[in-house]
Formats: sequence, structure tokens, C-alpha cells
Amino acid sequence: MTSENDTQLDIESNLKKYEAGLQIIVEGARADTGQTPKEIIWTKNKAKLYHYEPTVEKKYPVPILLVYALINRPYVLDLMPGNSLVEYLVNHGFDVFMLDWGIPGDEDSNLTFENYVLDYMPRAVKKVLRTAHAEEFTLLGYCMGGTMAAMYTALFPGKPLRNLILMTAPIDFTAENTGLYGLWTNEKYLNPDHMAAAFGNIPGDLVDTGNRLAKPVTNYVGSYVTMWDRILQGKPMDTWLAMNKWVNDGIPFPGAAFRQWIREFYQQNKLVKGEIRLRGMRVDLSAINCAVLNIAGKKDHICTLPQAEATMNLISSEDKEFFVLDSGHVGLLTGSDAKKSLWPKILSWLELRSK
Amino acid sequence: MAEGSKAQGPVNPLDFWKQWSETSTAMWTNVLEGGKGTFVDPYGLYRPWLHSIEVAQEQMKESAKGTIEPTELRKQWYEAAIGAWAKAAEMGGDPLGLTAQWLEIMEENRSKIFSGGTVPADPFTFIKQWYDASSDTWAKIVGDIIGNEKFVENASQFIESYTSYYMATRRANEDYFRNLQLPTRSDLARVAEIIVALEEKVDRLDDALDDIEDGNSQVATKDVITELEGRLSRVEKRLDAISSALEKLETVEKLAKHTEGMEKKLDKVLEAFAKNEASISSTATEVDVVATRKPTRKNARNPKANGSKVEAKQTV
Repeated sequence: MTSENDTQLDIESNLKKYEAGLQIIVEGARADTGQTPKEIIWTKNKAKLYHYEPTVEKKYPVPILLVYALINRPYVLDLMPGNSLVEYLVNHGFDVFMLDWGIPGDEDSNLTFENYVLDYMPRAVKKVLRTAHAEEFTLLGYCMGGTMAAMYTALFPGKPLRNLILMTAPIDFTAENTGLYGLWTNEKYLNPDHMAAAFGNIPGDLVDTGNRLAKPVTNYVGSYVTMWDRILQGKPMDTWLAMNKWVNDGIPFPGAAFRQWIREFYQQNKLVKGEIRLRGMRVDLSAINCAVLNIAGKKDHICTLPQAEATMNLISSEDKEFFVLDSGHVGLLTGSDAKKSLWPKILSWLELRSK
Repeated sequence: MAEGSKAQGPVNPLDFWKQWSETSTAMWTNVLEGGKGTFVDPYGLYRPWLHSIEVAQEQMKESAKGTIEPTELRKQWYEAAIGAWAKAAEMGGDPLGLTAQWLEIMEENRSKIFSGGTVPADPFTFIKQWYDASSDTWAKIVGDIIGNEKFVENASQFIESYTSYYMATRRANEDYFRNLQLPTRSDLARVAEIIVALEEKVDRLDDALDDIEDGNSQVATKDVITELEGRLSRVEKRLDAISSALEKLETVEKLAKHTEGMEKKLDKVLEAFAKNEASISSTATEVDVVATRKPTRKNARNPKANGSKVEAKQTV
């Protein structure tokens, strides 16, 4: 009788697990992300500037401004409590700000890197300095946000920018360095003008599909195998749900910026050649002379190691360091490995340069 | 609201999609019918897979009539899947050789999964076992395919075709709704652009105010005014000094005038005194008083005293 009851319970438990798994597949992953308490201190069009509420007494007078890419959502930097770079920095006494570009609408299809680097970023920097009552700041750019941060630094070197942290920031777009993206974005096969003309903003799903196709087995199958495995073994699902939500939360890429990104960066590799001009101002990376921490992942297929490493020979900074982790593009930023390696590294590097 | 309208009548956007759908279908059919076409069917990989499931379902229905072990079911399904793939590979229609490679993986994994004789009863564990056994090979093969120029070329043509039809449909939709006197997404976007431009102006004002507050602007701040006050105060003090010096000068002038006046008066007194002296001389001669001494200035200033002496002498 007891054995029969146990079997019955097992069946019920397994059915519940299958139900939970199917619900995720059908409805999509749901998770509370970006929970570190924050305040919006400035907005411009869809962009928002967050100021994270301090949890401990401020130890460092130099605030940190985080800048994310134009694709996907920036809450990956503040994924969930206990798994958030933002929370980690705040808890260690840093004054942290983050620039969220927001979700572009049809009316934003003409926004270019000129708008983002010359209009949005300098204003956000002003607000950061004003709010933090600071004279200097640290700029931390992730992924395409790193490329944008490098361009900003090249155009506005010196005070008030004190430190620059580039995390998996693609700089050199030589076809041999860009892996599959180099082939897919080759001008023989991809016409960004045509796509921008058709869609206005490039749909987030299209961009996501491109990114996921670079590792299709892992992204389309492996991820769900992991999900079922965790569900059936009764392991916590929080991190998986948060990551899965983020992966599927792509946002449109403003058409004009997409054209620039594909044409001038991927197809013509203008940044390393010093040929990018924003409103006539030449983006010369050799003008970067502040302290630079350049972080890359060995397994990163979105920003490959050589793409990020090239920065080291292009900038003039005397205080510069290239830090390589045995991780992928996102794995580098979150999870247990990040807590042990990346976060402490950023902390120790900043501690010395934020007094 | 709309910026003019085209002369032609509204085009049904569904027609465009229908046209595109037919073209695409024809394209994929061409591939499936012998691989002579230029395009690759991205779903071709899954067709034999789905077919294998159908076959397995049929076999399971048959088996269900008797008692069958779950592990045996897995084996049957696996064999059915391999059979379906082998059939698909024989039929051709796979320019990239996907089917053949997939079949190779399936056969390779068959030995890995079933050789130990420990086929899990739980379907998920079975699938995971199968995934773990095949994912590396699978990932490599798929990686090779998507990194192949032929694949990219075909995908590019598909995207170009999709983009063209999407653009045409979008225009058709715009015209369609415009002719129906309904606002379109473009109209809303235009309004939103105006709002964004307006916001930009407000931003500039906000920036200017911030600059004023931060002291970055060329306007008089409290510090500047305080400094200016200090400078004015110093200038004022200097002016006061000059003024007082000037006043002193005036006093001197007055003194000089006063002295001059005094001198004139003295001159008059002296003159009068001289006249008086002359008169006294003549009187002394007459009264025989020794007046050989000239009158001193002291005496002159005090003629009365002098007079008293004279009187005393006179008395003596």
C-alpha cells in the first residue's frame, strides 16, 4: 500500500514538473530582474539614467557610469539579487549609475551613433557628476556599449573621465577576427541599407535569431535540456529563468544605427583605421589616455578575443590592462564564475583608481 | 494627416503576402524535388524527424496491443527515426548533405546509448542521454553548415526576398489605410518625432539651467558678484582717499586765502600803524618826549601797551 502511494506521489510530482516546464516553454520565462533599488534621475526620449541607491556608506568619490549596447536589455548587469554586478559594486561602496537606452519606437529609426555618443552620453555624464557631486567618473561599457564608451573617450579624453572599463567590447572588426559574424555581415550577403529601409528599426527577434544562430545547438536545444534537467532534479530555476528571459527580450535596433554598425564597423572596419567620424569629429582611439581595463572572454563568439585585444595597441594609456577570462560573452558577466573572477577583479582595479 | 495620397486605388496587402508565400513555397519545393534549386530548405532537417515520430507513433500503437517495456519503446522509436532519415537521405534533395550527416550521428549514438543495455525508462533522461552523446558532433556539423558560404548565400537571398516583400507590403498597407482615411504607423511616428524634437528643445533649456547652476555658463554667479562688490568697494575707498585729498587741498587753498586776507589786514594795520607812528612822532616833538626808538612789531601789535609805556615815561 505504501509503495503504491509512493508511486502515486512520484507520478504527481513528475506531472507537476512537466507542467512547470511546459508552462515556461509556452508562456516564456518569467523572472524579477533588475531589482537593485534605483531612481531615475534623467530621461531623454526613451533613454533613462538610473542612480542605484547606496546600501553602505560611499567609500569612493569617483562614481561609475554603466553603458549597455543598443540591442538586448541592460538588466543583465543587474540580473537578480545575488547575481548582479550592479548590486556587487553598490554593496562595496561605489556610487553606481546606468544608462538604459530604452526601447526605440518607429520615430527613432533615424537615431545614429552621433546621437548616442554626442548627445546622450555627454548629458548623462553631466547628470552623473552633478548627482554624485563628483569631478571625475569611471565609464564601464559592455559589448557594443563598450565600443560606444571607447568612442566617447576618444572624443572627450581627459577630465572628467578618469577610468575606462571595456567589457567584451568589439573594436577590431577585421573579417578574420569576427568569426561567423564576419561572414554573415559580408557586404556580398548583407545589405543593411535595404533592411533599414524595409523595417525602419531592425526587429529584435531578427537580431536575436542572428545571435542565437551563431551557436544554434546550445541556444535552441541545450538551453532547454538544461531547463528540464533542473526542473526534474528539483534544482533552483531562478537564474535560468532570469537568463532565459533576458535572452528572449531583444529590442529593435534603430535602423540608422544598424546601418552604421554593419557598414562602417563590420564591413569597412573604420574604427581601428581612425576613419569613423561623428558629426565631422574623427574618432581617434589613440586619444584615449586614461586608465583602461579591457576584459574579454576566451569562449566569446560575439566579441572574439582578437576583436577586444586590438584595443591595447590602439590606445595611448600608460595604465592599461588586458584581462582574459575562460568564459563566453554573457557567462563572463553573471553566474558563479563571474562572482569569483570578474567582479573581484573590477573591484580591486577600481579601488586603486577611485580615491 | 497623411502627406498626400497616391492616385492608384488601395492594394490589398494580403495579396503581397500571398504572392511572397507562393514564391517562397515554389522555391522550397524546388529544393525538395531534387536539389536542383539554389535555395536550402531550413526546415528540411526537421521533416524526416517529424516523419520518424509519426512512424514511431504507429509502431507504438501496434505494440500497445501487447505489453511492452519503455526501453523497448525507445529502441523502436530510435530505429524508426533512423529508418526515416535513411529514406530521406536516399531520396536526395539535400544539397548541404544535412540528412546524411544527421543519419551518421544517429547511428553513432545508437551504439553509445543502447550498447550498455541501460536504456533509461524516463523519457527525459533518455533524451538528455541522447543530447549529451550527440550535442558536440551536432554542434560542429551545424557550425560547419552555417559557416559555409553556400548556406550564407542562400540565407542572404531569402532575407533579401523577405525584405523586399515586407517593404512592398508595408507601402501597400500605408496606401490602403491612407485611402481609408485612417492614421498609419508612419503618421504616428511623425507626430512622435515632433514630440521628440520638442523634448530636445526642453533638454537644451534644462542643460542651460544646469550650466547656470553649476557655474559653467558665462553669467554672473554669486561668487562673481561678491568679487565684483569687493573690487567696487576697493575702488570706492580709493575714490574716498582722493576725495579727502582733494578736500585737504581745498582747506589749504582756504588757508592760503585766509592768510592772504590776514596779510592784507596786517598790511592795513601796518599802514595804519605807520600813519599812527608818524602822528605820534609829531606829537612827541611837540610834547618833548624822547621817541627816538622805532616801534617794534610787538608794540605795533599792542599799541595800547606801547601807549601805556609812553604814558609811564611821560609820568616819569
